[in-house]
Amino acid sequence: MMWRALSADWLKIRGKGLWFLVFLGPLGLVAMQGLNFGLRYDYLREQYSADLWGGLLNNVAAFVPIALFLGGTLVCSLIANVEHQMSSWKQLLALPISRTSVFMAKLVLCLVLVAVSCLLLSVGTVGLGLVLGFKVELIPYLDVLRIGFMSYIAALPVIALQLWLSLANRNQTLPVALGITLSLVSIFSMLLSEWVPLTWPYMAWESSHRLLFSGAGLLLGLLILLPGALHFARKDVD
Amino acid sequence: MKETVIETKDLLKKYRGRAAVENLNLNIRKGEIYGFLGPNGAGKTTTIRMLLGLITPTSGRIEVFGQDLRKHKLQILRKVGSLVESPSYYGHLSAVDNLEAIRRILGAPKSRIAEVLDIVSLTGEEKRPVKGFSLGMKQRLGIAAALLGEPELLILDEPTNGLDPSGIQEIRGLIKRLPQEQGITVVVSSHLLSEIEQMADTVGIIRQGQMVYQDSITNLQRQAGGEMRLAVSDPEAALRLAEERGYTGILQDQKLVFSRMIDARVALLVKALVENGHAIYRVEERRQSLEDFFLQVVGGEES
Repeated sequence: MMWRALSADWLKIRGKGLWFLVFLGPLGLVAMQGLNFGLRYDYLREQYSADLWGGLLNNVAAFVPIALFLGGTLVCSLIANVEHQMSSWKQLLALPISRTSVFMAKLVLCLVLVAVSCLLLSVGTVGLGLVLGFKVELIPYLDVLRIGFMSYIAALPVIALQLWLSLANRNQTLPVALGITLSLVSIFSMLLSEWVPLTWPYMAWESSHRLLFSGAGLLLGLLILLPGALHFARKDVD
Repeated sequence: MKETVIETKDLLKKYRGRAAVENLNLNIRKGEIYGFLGPNGAGKTTTIRMLLGLITPTSGRIEVFGQDLRKHKLQILRKVGSLVESPSYYGHLSAVDNLEAIRRILGAPKSRIAEVLDIVSLTGEEKRPVKGFSLGMKQRLGIAAALLGEPELLILDEPTNGLDPSGIQEIRGLIKRLPQEQGITVVVSSHLLSEIEQMADTVGIIRQGQMVYQDSITNLQRQAGGEMRLAVSDPEAALRLAEERGYTGILQDQKLVFSRMIDARVALLVKALVENGHAIYRVEERRQSLEDFFLQVVGGEES
């Protein structure tokens, strides 16, 4: 059931700018670091001489949380908007498919799209490192994967919340405004208590207990999905 | 008696304490075209959304195909095709892709897409993005989508709303064809009596959330039947004579007014009057239009 809805959703997002967004995010981050390293190549090379790859990854990682929050917000909103735009909910939900399946399909679609972004970020970062002449033998593969994905898992609470709000409201102003606000606040992660979930994507890279923060993100994310799915399954469709 | 397809019992839907639909008892039989009639805001769309499980009734029961909608929702919806209010579509996709997105959920065979496009005569337009379609074409696409799963019950909410006359005619023809050709039961709502009159077998009239009339369209026409008027030389004596013969009539503006009757009785009455020396100036039939009857039913309590 869910796969049927997902395969329909796959078709519906065609030409809606979602794929553009999925590519723009990671490539933007990599291009930014390309500029950073390109302009002050000698200075940074000297500064990070002990661990060139690590230096690059740290520079990229600084912008991953805000990119995840912003990207997650926009992906959720665009996915929801496909149905909101021409009030297709009434048509979709009058089909013989459970609301839970529809909700799950939207969730999986959103998670897959952000995951593709994370993967592109890892690939793009390695590509940039190689262009900058860093040694192939020294590529820290685990860290390269960690850079996107660990923070991604830690960002799940916000993505789950955004999906809920975007699906529930026809007007996308509120969810998008909230998402942007959260993204901006997350810039000050180092100043906030680590109990604030907004800091978790940053902590999942930076902290010595990285797994703890990713795990907490996964748990809280699932916890937020529950009322979101329940609300979606029960609400009246206008 | 024919099989019942939709039955509702004391359906109630409240929004913030105000009842949008109240005490609604629908009874729709298999193979008929049921016209659901009422002014805008009477609760037609609310009722239809409840029938499709889009909104939950505050209380009351809905049975479709003899099964409780709440318990067997997906089984029921598998046999139902619907078009609710304004057309729903994905503007950036072509007609084929719109149908394909729905087909993937229904699991219908791919060949069905060409079939339904043919039924609504959209063949030839299927590759264009739907946002460039006219309203009539979008509405037809909506009907195609509703037919995709080969439904036994088709629920169409205001399918002709906002269409031009030729578009209305086309949709009307399509709706009338369906029960004949494929044995589909059709529920169609409208705020225009003339619409329903030309399509439906049975009509239900809803007003302020309550069903005020439910009967076959022939009975509706009979009730709106009208009257016979006779202008004669001596009305009082003529009326007395008519009453002796078992006709019940009244005197109005020096004319005899009777309720509508069959031809033979009209002939007998005229003959009796002539034989008794009355001069008959006029025999006229005045039919109350259905539109008047509708207004009477719908606006009755307000005036």
